[in-house]
Amino acid sequence: MNSIEKNLLELNRIENLQQRSHWMNRLHPLGKLLLSVLYIFTVVSFDKYKVTPLILMSVYLIFGFIIGELSFREGIYRVRLVLPLVIFVGILNPFFDKRVLFYLGTFAVTGGMVSMLTLMLKGFYAVLSSYILIATTSIEDICYALRCVHVPKTVVLVIMLIYRYFDVMAKEADRIMTAYTLRAPSQKGIHYKAWGTLVGQWLLRSMDRAEMVYESMLLRGFNGDFKMRRKEVKKIDVLYPLFWIIVFIIIRHF
Amino acid sequence: MHMADALVAPAVAGTMYVLSTGAAGVSVKNVREENDPKKIPVMGVMGAFVFATQMLNFTIPGTGSSGHLCGGMMLSAMLGPYAGFLTMIGVLLVQCLLFADGGLLALGCNIWNMAFYGCFVGALLIWRPFMKKGASRAKIIAASIIGCVLTLQMGAFSVTIETLLSGITELPFSVFLATMQPIHLAIGFVEGLITSAVLIFVNEARPELLWGVGEKSSNEGKLSFKNTIIAIAVAAAICGGVVSLFASAFPDGLEWSMEQVAGTTELEADGGAYETASAIQDTTSLFPDYAFKDSESAVGTSFSGIVGALVVVGVTVGACYAFKFFKKKESIA
Amino acid sequence: MHTGVCGEILKIEHLSFGYEKGEKVLTDISFEAHDKESIGIIGSNGIGKSTLMKLLVGLYLNYEGRLEVAGHTMDKKNLNHIREHVGYVFQDSDSQLFLSTVEDDVAFGPQNYGLSAEDVEKRVTSALQRVHIEALRKKQTYKLSGGEKKLAAIATILAMEPDIIIMDEPSVALDPRNRKNLIGILNEIDALKLITSHDLDFVMDTCERTILIDDGKIIADGKTDEILRDKELLEYHGLELPLRFGGC
Repeated sequence: MNSIEKNLLELNRIENLQQRSHWMNRLHPLGKLLLSVLYIFTVVSFDKYKVTPLILMSVYLIFGFIIGELSFREGIYRVRLVLPLVIFVGILNPFFDKRVLFYLGTFAVTGGMVSMLTLMLKGFYAVLSSYILIATTSIEDICYALRCVHVPKTVVLVIMLIYRYFDVMAKEADRIMTAYTLRAPSQKGIHYKAWGTLVGQWLLRSMDRAEMVYESMLLRGFNGDFKMRRKEVKKIDVLYPLFWIIVFIIIRHF
Repeated sequence: MHMADALVAPAVAGTMYVLSTGAAGVSVKNVREENDPKKIPVMGVMGAFVFATQMLNFTIPGTGSSGHLCGGMMLSAMLGPYAGFLTMIGVLLVQCLLFADGGLLALGCNIWNMAFYGCFVGALLIWRPFMKKGASRAKIIAASIIGCVLTLQMGAFSVTIETLLSGITELPFSVFLATMQPIHLAIGFVEGLITSAVLIFVNEARPELLWGVGEKSSNEGKLSFKNTIIAIAVAAAICGGVVSLFASAFPDGLEWSMEQVAGTTELEADGGAYETASAIQDTTSLFPDYAFKDSESAVGTSFSGIVGALVVVGVTVGACYAFKFFKKKESIA
Repeated sequence: MHTGVCGEILKIEHLSFGYEKGEKVLTDISFEAHDKESIGIIGSNGIGKSTLMKLLVGLYLNYEGRLEVAGHTMDKKNLNHIREHVGYVFQDSDSQLFLSTVEDDVAFGPQNYGLSAEDVEKRVTSALQRVHIEALRKKQTYKLSGGEKKLAAIATILAMEPDIIIMDEPSVALDPRNRKNLIGILNEIDALKLITSHDLDFVMDTCERTILIDDGKIIADGKTDEILRDKELLEYHGLELPLRFGGC
């Protein structure tokens, strides 16, 4: 299986999660989005030597994954993309920062070890909390939340279109790559002689598609304006994020 | 080159959000003024296209390895800086949400590092001056390579600065820089080559699709080289100003960057009895007494503190499973 | 939106059009169409069928001759009004369905015409019912099969309750069952239908009238049953007899 197919499968899995009828999926997207941002904000705001509150911050993730019936494995799998840079940045900390913070028995724990650990934890927490958000909230709902905080319509509509056509384009990319490799089995990627024509032709086709999409929108009364259907706000939509924000504040001020 | 959430301190993330939002505001205004509703579907479809092309492998001649396309420069050569920038924001947001490439908090940084330079610098300072008197093969190659290399270098430099300002790494500035810049030099060069190949094809097949070629002076044409330089200088000044503003509100991150710069470490490593005691007190009492707050030294960690925290985590796990168990029972009954 | 107009709702007189100056894609096209008629527009590739269809929805306005849709002359001023009466189903459903869920996509048109939330809801429900895909309401558009996409695309048009529905190659890429299903659904829709197709059997099943176009001109206009049996005529203009009449 090639990487494009893997990406499509991953997308498919997430979308299946978004379609569930779990109560966490039904929460108002704005609350969930703000909660996730605040969570990450709180997590990264901790001092690099503070392990204790950082461990406590995992309660949100644990709750989200267990109650939200999500797979930790899936969540951790998603860390792979950001991990290299995080590791690169953190890996040398133990070598540069050798001050002893405390002893575990006779083992001296240095500042560098702790700061590396907290950095990794922050990396994992941020990705896992975003996973909770996206596994319970569809992109349309997130777009709705973005509209609630007055992100311009143009941007929101573009995001929705990118999301809609990503699937179409990725499948096309997959077909193009398959057709290419079937006729060039020994090559790892696209030969430089084909760079321009292969991508270029695809680009022109995509522009034609954009034209058709535009016509189709136009014929259904599109004039640059775009409306979304309102979502009701229920008590739980406010109480759930509020509860967690209080928890974060308590942990933050420990 | 995507920044992760863990690598940015709140002050840095906030500052970059402010800057990126500013650039987005300018872009939205410009796109609106163009008043071309057709731009929106084009932006959406091209965004998806760029997103998908990032998945293709390109063999780099003479090496065994393969390169990829990021697409910022390609996008701005097709859509212009403003629509290109907004499209890249969309791509970065969808990437961050669906594939955890980058993070929600670091999004502001990522938009700046990848979209701002690629679109504004790439389109206005490089692409347009080159294309002013019409496009040619050589000019497209030059503009694409210079554009990609330069904007990626700027992006990589920003990553380094943002990470260092966030104070999460002990990596000396020089080491970090010496690693980041050369890697991105190579990446930028390959990206430039691929981009030029694609744009040359477009120029031959449908030249009208390329932005800013010839003397078509539109609204966007009004931003001159000089103005752009001034805009970047102002942005840099705002950047500095906002960082300090945020720093006073959320001192944690900058505290550490100050320490980086000054090279002083006032840390005393004493995991003594007082620390232990206060940590236990902190973990056991729900509302820690603020009178003790000044004892908050950098060493917020102690063995017993960690144990306490782990107990809390354990209790949470138990409680969650219990909650689920009873909920299931309830639904069965 | 139904006008309640009976009789001719489409009137074309001496219509000519070219994309570039001096070039003629369509020359001197004239025909009239009545409410609830069903017309097949046939012809080989690249002879201007799609161009004609796009003219009818006002995607190009620099035409010569007369073009009247639902009692209005096709020009910039009347464009919005005309588009309330005409729906266009694209050949490529993916280009038509640009929002993420079926429901949102079907609601897009009615919302743009400023209907209340309640009315939009009613329109969506009824459109989905008419193409029998109520069950797909909440589904993601990209997860639909080819046949389902086509039906969803038709629903997006039906939700606008047009008097005229134009369909570009509706049967392309449908498997036999979906094709048969589509024929049934199209025959239930009581609006003026203009269907372009190379699939002459499909035209036989859905249209009582057929217009044959070649080289930008109308060659024949009459009963489907007569035109599609005329082997000589069809072959001369690059087409073949429908399979049921022994075409190959």
